[in-house]
Parts: sequence; C-alpha cells; structure tokens
Amino acid sequence: MTTDSLSIENSKPNALRPISGQTYAGLTVVALSLLTAYFISRTNGDVAAIWVLSNLFGLTLQRSRFCFASAFRDLFLFGSGHNMKGIIIGMGISTIGFAAIMHWIIPNPGAGFLPAEAHILPVGLSVVVGGVLFGVGMVIAGGCVSGSLYRMAEGYVASWVAIIGVIIGLGALTLTWNWWWAFSISNEPKVWLPSVGSLGYTGAIVITLLGLVAIYLLVTFMEYKNGLFMPHINKKIIPALNFDGRVRATLDPVFKRGWPIAIGGVVLGILGIIMYTIHMPLGVTGELMRASQLGLGWMGVDVPVLDGLSTLGGCTGRSGEPGLLGHTFAITVGLLPGALIGALFAGEFKLRLPTQKRRYVQSITGGVMMGYASGLAVGCTIGAFFSAVPSLSLSGWVFGLAMAAGAFTGTQVIKRIG
Amino acid sequence: MADEQIPILDVRGEICPYPMLKTNEALDGDHKGVVTIDILTDHPPALSTVPPQAMKRGYEIEIDELGAGEWRMRLSKI
Repeated sequence: MTTDSLSIENSKPNALRPISGQTYAGLTVVALSLLTAYFISRTNGDVAAIWVLSNLFGLTLQRSRFCFASAFRDLFLFGSGHNMKGIIIGMGISTIGFAAIMHWIIPNPGAGFLPAEAHILPVGLSVVVGGVLFGVGMVIAGGCVSGSLYRMAEGYVASWVAIIGVIIGLGALTLTWNWWWAFSISNEPKVWLPSVGSLGYTGAIVITLLGLVAIYLLVTFMEYKNGLFMPHINKKIIPALNFDGRVRATLDPVFKRGWPIAIGGVVLGILGIIMYTIHMPLGVTGELMRASQLGLGWMGVDVPVLDGLSTLGGCTGRSGEPGLLGHTFAITVGLLPGALIGALFAGEFKLRLPTQKRRYVQSITGGVMMGYASGLAVGCTIGAFFSAVPSLSLSGWVFGLAMAAGAFTGTQVIKRIG
Repeated sequence: MADEQIPILDVRGEICPYPMLKTNEALDGDHKGVVTIDILTDHPPALSTVPPQAMKRGYEIEIDELGAGEWRMRLSKI
C-alpha cells in the first residue's frame, strides 16, 4: 500500500514511449481543421476565426471534462460541486469582459437600447418551462447539448443518439413556436440588469459577481455537509532524466492529463469574451435548430415562419441565416474536431457502446426534452446560461434556477431507472 | 496477493453518473467493508468523480491506464 492517497502515474515515466496511432490521428485532425479554416477564410475571415476558436472551445471542454449536466446533477446526487465551481469561475471572468464590450456598444444603459448580440433573453414562462425541461433532459441523457457534442467526438455512441434527440426536439419546438410566441413569449420582458433602476454597469456587475460568489459558497457548503473534498493528487516526483521524459513532462499536463476544472472555466470564460468581440457570445443550439428545420423540409413538412424569433438574439435566433458555412456552423461543428483532437492526443478516443439498451432510450428521451427546451428558452446551458449571466441578463439566472429544479427532478428519475 | 482474489466492478460502457452510483452501491452494499476492489471504467470523468466518493468511505485510490480509453481504479481500505 502506498502512502499516496491517489496517484495517476505511468509505471515508467522516463521510458521512451512510442508515439501512438491516436497521436498521429490527432495531428492529422489538426491539419485538416486548419485546412478547413483556411478554406473558410477565403470567403469569410470572421467565420474562420470562429471555427478556430470553437476548436479550442471543444478542446477545452474535452480536456477539463466540463459538464453542465454533472454540475447540476452531482450537487443533488453526491453533494459534489466540482463542475459547478468551474462554471462559476468561467462566468465570473466572462462577466468582466462582456461588461466591457457592452459598455463599448451601449455607453448609456438607461437609454433604452440593448447591446444587439448579447444574450439578453425574455424572462417568463418560456425560460422557466424551458429550464426545468432542460434540467430533467440533461440528467436523463447524461449530458447537456455541449456535453453530448464533445462526447460525440470522443466516440460515445449514446451521445450521437442524444444529439439526434435534440434535433427532433428542436423540430417539435419549431412546429409549436408560434403558439408559445402568442401565448407567452411575445409578452415576456427582456430584463437587462444595467438598465434596471439606477443600477448601471457598476451595479449590475457587482450584483452578478456577488451572486456568483454566493453560489460558490453555497456549493462549498454543500460539499462540506456531505463530507466531500477533491482529493489532493499526490504525484510521485520522478525527475525527468532524459530528453524524451523532459518533453513529455511539458506536454503531458496539457495533452495527456485532464485539466483542473478551474483552468477549464478560466479558458472558457476568456474564449467567450474573444468570441463576443468577433461577433456574438458562445451558443451551440443555433446550428442544431437549422439542422432540424432542414430535416423537416426534407420530410415535406412546411417550416413555419417563426414569429419574433429573430428579434430575440441568442443562438437559435441566428438559425435563419442563409448559407452552409455560417457562424452557427462554425461554433457548433467546429467544436467537434477540437474535442476529437483532445481525445486523440490523450489516447482516450474509443468507440463506446452502452452495455444496456435502456441507455439508448434515456439518450433519445433526454435529447428530445433538451431540444424542445433549448428552443423554447432560446439557448442551452451555453447560450441561455453560460453566455446569458455574463450578458448581465436576468434570464440567465432564471434559466439556471429552473435547470437546478429540473436536474433535481431528473436525479429522482435516474435513481429509479438504475 | 493474487489479483484474481480482488473483486472487480466493471462499469465500462456506463457514463455519468452511473460509474460512481454503482461504485457507491457496491461499497455500501454487496462489497461493504471490502479491503480492495478494482473498478474498471472507460469514462474519463469517472476518474475525478469516483475518488472523492471512495475517500469519503475510507479508501485510497490508485489509477492505472489499461489501454486506449480504459482505466482501472484500485480502491484500498486505508
């Protein structure tokens, strides 16, 4: 028995490890993705930049195993706040950058204008119903939309099924959107904190950051109550004697071992800010919405004109943009090679088939719920939450709270499924 | 001493939260009080979610990579 509480070490860190087939495959994907960026850049430089940033987005999600479903679910299931802490850190960093960008677009928040591309979404029944439904769906499917996307690239077959479910759900939402619009969404206000009362940017930033700190403390308290702590990883310190060992000692923390969740949060927060300076904050549902509408068209179903959606911003509002290689394509599809590169360099790519048939049912059911919900709430965990809270939008908080309620319900469901 | 005597919980093919749910069930149920147990997984997030749960129950953890995308977590009673 070792005295180390936890050790993740290769038995011979200094031995010459052969470069694996997965590493060569990873290098090939890097080359192909850069080639894709080059071809996109010949028609649209912004989209090419978004493609590359989205590669990094996927890589970061994969390396830090960023998982919104786990963040909400594990709080209730195990009292673990591991992922939630990373999300809070990421949103805190994005908040500062987003506020600076929005201040540049709208210097006077009281003037009655909203910064056009920020994710300031309606607050009302749509975001509450959408949040709860999304929360249940992501727990049942075992991953949210962004989580299922990067796991698709890692070889999880169940995640492919979940994304197909999301596309079906978005199709169902497309056919019922106009009813929701007339019934509720058209009357729901967009509440942008800087324009509320005399808050201004300073007040809105302070409230948002204090809110994030409060939740961080609450999560820490829940971990304490459950007697949980992340074990300190005691590493056996073995000096890297030869050149090969030294090179690996430099590369392994980035490409081999998983990143600490806080690092993942920081990188995602910064990527969100850069993404916003180019065009709009992160959001991955828009392209899936487009796919579902294409699918409806192929099946001969008339896709209705979606009332008011294009006035809402958010990522699904962008799904009507013409052309294949648009912004939503670059963000959503660009994530896949990034996550694949991360999995291949780490030697973690593997085609993973669920051993139990009912997992497929869970994936498709959870997927459909998430699809419908993300259409209704005009975004998923990324667009309507991770990008909305830093947009100083009240909708992000409401969506988050509703998701927590949904995730709690979802944990009761999966405990019974077993 | 021999590896064959160490019980194995194979949760390959399962994704979150099932690897840790099943580990917890095993440690609280069928394998309650077991001295050493091996958990096999092909789900990388399990490597960071199972250890806190096992430590809470008084186990230390050693992780070995078995091959592409598969790991063995050996839990031993402290």
